Amino acid sequence: MSERPGKQAIGPSRKRRVRDGNRSVFIFLCLLPAFIFLAVFLYYPIEETFRIAMTKSSGLGPEPYIGFDNYAKLFSNEEFLAGLLHVFTWAFFSIIIQLPLAFLIAFSLTFYANRFTGGLRAVFYLSNVLPSAITAMLGRFIFAPKYGIIASLSSTLGWKWLSGIDFLGNQDLAFWSVFAIATWAYTGFPIIYLMARIDQIPKEVREAAELDGSTGWHYAMKIVLPEIGYPLRILAVLSTVGSLRLFDLPNMMTSGGPGNATVTLGITLYRHGFVNWNYGKAAAIGVVIFVLSLAFTVAQFSFGNRKGGETT
Amino acid sequence: MKKRSIFALAILALSMIASTSLFAADKVKLTVWGRDIADDDAAHAYVKALVAGFQAKYPDIQLDYIALGDPGLADKTKITMASGSGLPDIFQSWGGSVMGGYADAGQLLDLSKELKTVPGSAAAAGAMTWKGKIYGVAPFFAVAGVFVNEGIFKANNLKYPTTVEGFEAVCDALKAKGIQPIACGEKDKWPGLALYMYLTNRFGGDASARAAARKLAYDSDAFVKAAQLYQKWVKAGYFGATPVGEGYGDAQQLMATGKAAMHITGSWMCGNYSDPNFTDQQLGFYAFPALKSGGVGKATDIMGMTDIGFAATKAAASKKDAVVKFLAYSMSPEAGAAEPGRIASMPGVKAKTALTGQATAVFASAKTVTFWWDQDLPPSVTSPLNDTIQTFFLPDTDVKKSLSAYEALVTENMGAVKK
Repeated sequence: MSERPGKQAIGPSRKRRVRDGNRSVFIFLCLLPAFIFLAVFLYYPIEETFRIAMTKSSGLGPEPYIGFDNYAKLFSNEEFLAGLLHVFTWAFFSIIIQLPLAFLIAFSLTFYANRFTGGLRAVFYLSNVLPSAITAMLGRFIFAPKYGIIASLSSTLGWKWLSGIDFLGNQDLAFWSVFAIATWAYTGFPIIYLMARIDQIPKEVREAAELDGSTGWHYAMKIVLPEIGYPLRILAVLSTVGSLRLFDLPNMMTSGGPGNATVTLGITLYRHGFVNWNYGKAAAIGVVIFVLSLAFTVAQFSFGNRKGGETT
Repeated sequence: MKKRSIFALAILALSMIASTSLFAADKVKLTVWGRDIADDDAAHAYVKALVAGFQAKYPDIQLDYIALGDPGLADKTKITMASGSGLPDIFQSWGGSVMGGYADAGQLLDLSKELKTVPGSAAAAGAMTWKGKIYGVAPFFAVAGVFVNEGIFKANNLKYPTTVEGFEAVCDALKAKGIQPIACGEKDKWPGLALYMYLTNRFGGDASARAAARKLAYDSDAFVKAAQLYQKWVKAGYFGATPVGEGYGDAQQLMATGKAAMHITGSWMCGNYSDPNFTDQQLGFYAFPALKSGGVGKATDIMGMTDIGFAATKAAASKKDAVVKFLAYSMSPEAGAAEPGRIASMPGVKAKTALTGQATAVFASAKTVTFWWDQDLPPSVTSPLNDTIQTFFLPDTDVKKSLSAYEALVTENMGAVKK
């Protein structure tokens, strides 16, 4: 029996097709659990949030469709607008205060590294591992009127002008009091993150800079800062997205008050959904936070890429 | 012989397993969600006695009491009521519109027939009734009143006033002596509600009931006058220099340490304010006074609501008997006797302290009882109400404008005022 001519020519091709097919099935099966997980816990909730945002839902009973009514009402709601303003203000000052502060501390700890700086790393990072509830309690303990550290200390010293200041109850001060605690609590992570990146700069670069007569300040600004441009951009994105979702610290320190002085989008969402049983409006706020986070992340990376930053 | 022994043992073991299973099948399991842990804290004495007493009295019912804390109880209840699955048989409830919302959604068990005969105060029963149906019981009821530091009043030759105008004079006198007249704790927002409810009542009588029925706007005369007087008192320093920076716990400390002379709050504080471990001050409890002139409400118009209550869910439909036994036991003098400070709704429980006795007397003198607005109004407008009241504490607030914004929200959620 001789084989038909041409069979050998198509044999490898069929085998390859079968092999490719098996490979595709294998890849599909490997990806399936992850896809199911994402579909159930990410895509479906996102779709539901968009859907509920178009309804008047109390969580109990029917959910009548009301189109974009929830969004329209949000943008004329004082509390929501105050929350929007506060998260942008928070993001702006996080970037211009917390990031430079983190850079200065990270640079100092690496440039002037000695046997004490290892301990200091832990001290700076400690605030980051504390639960928000503890941080908020510490914040209240510091700023509380009458019994707080500042009030008690200033009373003891006879500084009435200071002991009478209501840091958390004054509309003009409450936001900045919470922000001060946040600056302490949230700067630990950027410090460690930047230190890891600064540590990666080859020692030869520093030695070369020193041979050229570079000072510490000059080295920081002209060599280190350009080297950590990409990590700084990531931190800026994290700060912005974190600000948009901000909830725990202001909620526990001031409950968003006095009035709307420290309200954030997260607090407004929580109040509408879980306190006022208005899940439609809460979902609409969730959509706004989602869209803004996405827009800012894309914008900040696009801006960085145009400037010639790293892309990976 | 050995085989026979093994066989006999196997039979014995099987019969034991079977009897245990049958016994377990006979034992009804009752899941109760509460707020407080059944521990040795004086404030939890009733819950502890209720759980232990019920288990001892009804060994055939397996009681699974789960303490969820605050706001854990409210949050978990709300989520399970929304999903309709995982419901407890009984949950701690304050009644009113929150419970009403669950009833309207068909999640509660109508026990009107079974609970009609359980003895208790009419106001407490009213709080656990929604649209004519009884869904639970309220063993304890709280009323808002004025806790007064008798020592400070005596030392300064002051007497508790009978009019709002006299109340202002007392506050001015205290302030002149360097004593903070009223402790509040408005950081937590809800503590300011009791006084606003009283002031609104004193200016407008049943204004709140008419506003809830949409026959009156929340920015109408009585509400605005009450808010203006409230803000005047804030500006006069009656609540101290930092009322919005202080929480409810801070307010309690001011009273406990004799740094504030009065505290307008619920009678649930009677237990703590009578406890020598909590305070060494001698305190009294009084009804909020009426206006001398131009007022409608009287000193016998009292604000209050359920202090501890329980309602049953539809999950308990198949074990109604056990549920009714638990609810009836919660209203028994046997369980209620352990409570050191709250006002008992059930007959036969005497006040343990003089302060509770005074609060009970205020409750007994009530000609009308108005339920807490933040429990009785629909949830969509209750938290914004407390937010609005907090704005009265801010010196630049135009209270009329704040109330108009609140009225707009009420109109959106409850409809416009019917002309």
